[in-house]
Amino acid sequence: MSSLNNKDNKTTSEEMWSSVYERRTVKDSSKIETPNTELDAPVSRLEFLRLMGASMLNNKDNKTTSEEMWSSVYERRTVKDSSKIETPNTELDAPVSRLEFLRLMGASITLAGFTGCRRPLEHIVPYVKQPEEIIPGVPLHYATTMSIGEDVFGLVVESHEGRPTKIEGNEKHPSNLGKASSLNQASILSLYDPDRSKSVMHDESTETWVNFISYWRQLYTQMKGNNGDGLAILTESFSSPSLLRLKNEFLKEFPKAAWVCYDPVSNETMYEGIAGATGKPFKQVNRYDKAEVIVSLDCDFLLTETDNVVNSHNFSKSRNFEKRKSAINRLYCVESTYSITGSMADHRLPLRCSEIIKFCVALAMELRDQAVPIPGLDKIDLNQYRFDHSWLKAIASDLIIAKGKGLVVAGKKQPGFVHALVLAINSGLENINKTVHYYEGKYSQSSSISDFSNLVSKMSNGEVNNLIILGGNPVYNAPVDFNFSTNLKKMQTSIHVSPYYDETSSLTNWHIPQSHFLESWGDAASTDGTLSVIQPLIAPLFSSKTILECLHAICYGTDKSGHEIVRETWSNSIIPISFEKNWRQILHDGLLPNNHSNLSSLKIDRGRLSKYLLSQQGLLSKAGTGLELVFQSSPAVFDGRFANNGWLQELPDPITKLMWDNVALISPKTAEKINIDLNKFGSLKTKNYQMMTLFFHGRELDIPVYVIPGLADDSVMVTLGYGRTKSGQIGNNVGFDTYKIRTSANLNYGSDLKISLTGNSYPLSTSQDYRKMEGRPLVREAVASSFINNGTLTPALPMSPDLTPLWKSHKYDKSPQWGMTIDLNVCTGCNACVIACQSENNIPVVGKKEAGYGREMHWIRIDRYFTGSEQNPKMVKQPVPCMHCENAPCEQVCPVQATNHDKEGLNVMVYNRCIGTRYCANNCPYKVRRFNFYNFTKGGPETRIRGEKPQELQKMSQNPDVTVRSRGVMEKCTYCVQRINQGKINSKTAGKKLKDGDIKTACQQTCPAGAISFGDITKKDSVVSKMKELKRNYVLLGEWHTKPRTSYLGVMRNPSNEIESVS
Amino acid sequence: MSTDNGNSKIESNSVGCTPLITGNPTFSSITGRISEIVELEVKKTPKAWFIAFGITSTMTMAMSAMIGWLLWEGTGIWGLQNPAGWGWAIVNFVFWVGIGHAGTLISAILFLFRQKWRTSINRFAEAMTIFAVICAGMFPGIHVGRAWVAYWMFPLPNQMSMWPNFRSPLLWDVFAVSTYFTVSCLFWYVGLIPDLATLRDRATNKIRKIVYGIFALGWRGGNRQWQHYEKAYLILAGIATPLVLSVHTVVSFDFAVGVVPGWHTTIFPPYFVAGAIFSGFAMVMTLAVIARKIYSLEDFITLNHLECMNKIMLVTGTMVGYAYACEFFIAWYGGNVYEQSIFINRAKGPYSWAYWTMVTCNVIVPQLFWFRKFRRNIPWMFVASILINIGMWFERFVITVTSLSQDFLPSSWDYYVPTVFDIGIFIGSFGLFLTLFLLFLRFLPMIAIAEVKGVIPQADPHHYEHHDDEKH
Repeated sequence: MSSLNNKDNKTTSEEMWSSVYERRTVKDSSKIETPNTELDAPVSRLEFLRLMGASMLNNKDNKTTSEEMWSSVYERRTVKDSSKIETPNTELDAPVSRLEFLRLMGASITLAGFTGCRRPLEHIVPYVKQPEEIIPGVPLHYATTMSIGEDVFGLVVESHEGRPTKIEGNEKHPSNLGKASSLNQASILSLYDPDRSKSVMHDESTETWVNFISYWRQLYTQMKGNNGDGLAILTESFSSPSLLRLKNEFLKEFPKAAWVCYDPVSNETMYEGIAGATGKPFKQVNRYDKAEVIVSLDCDFLLTETDNVVNSHNFSKSRNFEKRKSAINRLYCVESTYSITGSMADHRLPLRCSEIIKFCVALAMELRDQAVPIPGLDKIDLNQYRFDHSWLKAIASDLIIAKGKGLVVAGKKQPGFVHALVLAINSGLENINKTVHYYEGKYSQSSSISDFSNLVSKMSNGEVNNLIILGGNPVYNAPVDFNFSTNLKKMQTSIHVSPYYDETSSLTNWHIPQSHFLESWGDAASTDGTLSVIQPLIAPLFSSKTILECLHAICYGTDKSGHEIVRETWSNSIIPISFEKNWRQILHDGLLPNNHSNLSSLKIDRGRLSKYLLSQQGLLSKAGTGLELVFQSSPAVFDGRFANNGWLQELPDPITKLMWDNVALISPKTAEKINIDLNKFGSLKTKNYQMMTLFFHGRELDIPVYVIPGLADDSVMVTLGYGRTKSGQIGNNVGFDTYKIRTSANLNYGSDLKISLTGNSYPLSTSQDYRKMEGRPLVREAVASSFINNGTLTPALPMSPDLTPLWKSHKYDKSPQWGMTIDLNVCTGCNACVIACQSENNIPVVGKKEAGYGREMHWIRIDRYFTGSEQNPKMVKQPVPCMHCENAPCEQVCPVQATNHDKEGLNVMVYNRCIGTRYCANNCPYKVRRFNFYNFTKGGPETRIRGEKPQELQKMSQNPDVTVRSRGVMEKCTYCVQRINQGKINSKTAGKKLKDGDIKTACQQTCPAGAISFGDITKKDSVVSKMKELKRNYVLLGEWHTKPRTSYLGVMRNPSNEIESVS
Repeated sequence: MSTDNGNSKIESNSVGCTPLITGNPTFSSITGRISEIVELEVKKTPKAWFIAFGITSTMTMAMSAMIGWLLWEGTGIWGLQNPAGWGWAIVNFVFWVGIGHAGTLISAILFLFRQKWRTSINRFAEAMTIFAVICAGMFPGIHVGRAWVAYWMFPLPNQMSMWPNFRSPLLWDVFAVSTYFTVSCLFWYVGLIPDLATLRDRATNKIRKIVYGIFALGWRGGNRQWQHYEKAYLILAGIATPLVLSVHTVVSFDFAVGVVPGWHTTIFPPYFVAGAIFSGFAMVMTLAVIARKIYSLEDFITLNHLECMNKIMLVTGTMVGYAYACEFFIAWYGGNVYEQSIFINRAKGPYSWAYWTMVTCNVIVPQLFWFRKFRRNIPWMFVASILINIGMWFERFVITVTSLSQDFLPSSWDYYVPTVFDIGIFIGSFGLFLTLFLLFLRFLPMIAIAEVKGVIPQADPHHYEHHDDEKH
């Protein structure tokens, strides 16, 4: 069976996954055997899926056009070609003629001798029988779902000849609305990670799944005998009908067993607060599109909180200046660190994380004083926590004016008290069911630190001696006071299912490789209860299993495919009627339409709330003085699970612009206290930064210290997820492991921190050193209400001489002429476009050292500047792709005409012609050109880290429509010319005219805020033309007469008059 | 052999007062004195020459190895990065081209202006020019990302109808530098012919006879040959003269045509030419002082010659200083924020150390040449010439790197740091230059025998005390 399986895999790989390198020769001389799939033969799991697919395919009656129809990848595989097929042997049997001989010799000398060393030649096997829906070169799209803990993302994945290459958002899915975050998109690189665990491991030696099953069966009967006493399952939190079903079945099979969920980054405190107020841990959905006044209490809802993609999308709707004029939303942000949400705020107050609770109380008091009924406050004397601040008055009056259209939100770092009080405030302001909705998390299981704590103590005292860890990496990320690894070693049997042979796997008896979600069957429920299916795009690349499959095996001791498990769940409980028909539709759409579970008619239990608040009152007095330490999930590697993803490691942090590291962020004032040289920060020369020791509750950690203006004083922020030791080649020893000082009592933040400099220094790589705009009109802004009157943005554009050209310049008037606008008013700087571009355009990863030199290859970068006061500066962001200047300075200086203008106004690069003088890059005023200083893609996209040995697996992640650039050539944003051409071809074959919006660049398509518009600027009714006509529209460095095709729309601010007049 | 008396008040071109060549040599003593350096037996070659040659050729080999690694591995081994796409390679290119300027200036322009004092140093300077241009020409070739297709910069007809971009200053550079190199070589070679014939005639072994014989092109020293020779020399001088101005003008276009603030300025052509002559003379000075001492050529390269060169350095140095001041003035007067910022950053920003090194070496140091004492002080002028070349290297560094590092968008600002390969290849280029120069000293007459003979009193046998008398 296993040999069949292997052969099968091989053939599949050769058939389906031809990489961009492999397209050169198609020569086949050997016999090809396709596996025999007759039913009497032993059927492998893969085979089974094929058969299932085929049967579904045969049943299919509603055949819509293949391009529009997204169905399972398995469904388009045929099994008809099951017999042996011999291809005619063309070369070896026939006598070689003289001519043939010469031809062969000549060719081999030329190829082997000269080009062979630069252009790898590989042989691929063509389709023996072409699968029905596959047209080589034409990608198919399938809907699937990704979950990170309880966060669910509905995605659509582009598949080229059976290999997924690009992840996009599913337009129908309420968590994404067609948009995707950087984590969503970068997960495709993790699929092709060569460091993924490839086989079942038992005590550090390779094993098979079959042997694991037989091992488990022995244990199973034993466990069954004592009802699962001493057995425990540790999972990450989840939101999945099938997983929940299996959980319940597991607990039925083993009633005495324990089931524990733990996530290092979770919404636990939020559920606690909501439950404290209502009795039930409802899920919260905020409608930022309907909110006119938003108060964020340490809530980075645009990037690191749940539903950030859809939040950005909705926030940009209520921020839309053209639609709402001066009534664009107003965002107040109170936070300790700088977040991108804070950068979008009209008013931002830096406040220590532990004091935000006080602020929240003070806000509640203020509202109560202004006659807003806030339930639950009656019994507490809170007068001592009043904030004497003009802010509160302004916020309170704004919120009262916007009753039912306001929204107060608290972040996941804040304790339950704040969440409960926020709920009370929202209820008092009649916002509930208008701007904030609550849903019953029917299928979800949340992380619980107390459960985990119980489990660990049971492990420690021997009550639990068999532990199964399904996903997660507790050895790395459990609170340090749990001593998880010591307790794990006490287990008789420990099993770990995870995608990597990681820190936890190396301490367990058994390790089972976990399938990537693009290889898995599964399902998920989003925050608002929308159900969606995780369907595989590709058969598992390695012998991996999904959590569902593992759990089924654990429950019953038998093997069952994920596909069956999911179908069982859905056919039994979700769509019991006309399942097959609906199922196909669900697979196509990726979700169950109209399945919004009813809004729970939320009632605040006043008594419970005030009791809860009273019980948590201690937190208020605990918010003491002294330094505090704040733990924050990383926007790049999240909790560490993406540590081995080169794209994400090299993604500049939205605030610090640091790549490949985590640091301790502190404010300039705090830095002065410990004598840190502030001149180092924002200076061009600094490459090495001082190291600092954090002494936190008896533990210490050395970490580089980095100063960012606008942070709350006496607050130190560190990101989680770095310093991995067993993540793989990319993520090992990148950054510093902050879990080492994270205790269960201070999961999110804690005071009593002491810091001191170690005297050592450490190199950091940033994508942007300089922090100020130097008064240049780069990011321009205005107050919305005054902009309506005077239409001026600041800083003002400099005076420029008459820009009439000396000679007749080319008129770009023939449709189409491509142009782009970027709306800085809604751009949050979330980096989704950067990863979209990287994924679409095969942009390599260069590694920390090269990135430190300034050689990162991103075609679109996000510039970040601090403006205003040093103590509480504003932060502005500006995505900068190629401007596609009509008068491009790069074009005229290239000595070999490797960069030119095409008739559609694109500034195009001819890679073949480029000799690499870099003159164009020097002469580009926007510095958007990127040079291949090395052969960055020689072995794959992560060559600089993984070495030049070809990584066949990683090559599969490359987009076949985009040339992979070799060393010595210049490259830059192309406006996704491959998409433009695909769009034109499609419209031509369909016999239709190209419509506005038919062609979307990768960055535009994914931008959660919809900040990017792209299209034909000769068409007056195209979106981009309309954008360019707005008064807010301006071009960067226009006075240089470069005539950029990319233009920007100025930032609109909506400050409160009350606060403005005070400050 | 007389020594310099330090009292010569005679300016360069007044033949007949104080002789240009001291020591009252005869024709044959001149021939002998210069030729014997070349004709030494291998065994008798000074040890110092071997030591020097050993060092310089080792440097050259090391450089070749580094270039090999560069071509194998990629431009990334240099310290170049995103805003600074050009670094030491281009700085070195401009530096060497600049040095290559003195040769043509001395040979051609001073020839046309009948500056006869040039005869003692022109061969020398021309050889230096050629070697400097060889070093210069190497850098654009290796600095491109794909050196194996660097020939695409030449307009070579091909089946794909690909043609270079004639709007690009880099292409102009290709033509300017290659023309300059060709003409300089021709000029040098034509000047060498009579001397090669002398060496052929004096040769005592067959190989020398044949080799020098071939290169002497059958020179017999006949009247007609001299007539043709003089005409050819004059014409070549005429052709070469505009090149002195054009080459560095075109090199300056590499920068001036770009939009980068700090590059985009019309003062560059004259400023670059002045700077080039400045650095070229400084290099001639450095080499002449050494060679003069080692080969005891004080009679040929007298203190008067050196003083003349110092005067030129003073003039060109002051011109360069004026250009620096003018750039600042225009930046302020022009009111362009980007331009202003780049100049403030040059003086006060992260590269201010480079800027002030440049100003000190190029503007302040030559000012001492206002004083005769300094002009005629050999140790001082030697040190000054080296400082000037350091300063001129930094001038190109300041122009190239500081402008690129801090241009329009502050987000892309960065700080360029060279790697060991940047530095190594630059040092190695000195190895190549000096290796060629040592070979030249060993195998070719370093002073133009025939021309020097033309400026000694004996060359004018007709009562030179009345040589001003037109009727005679």
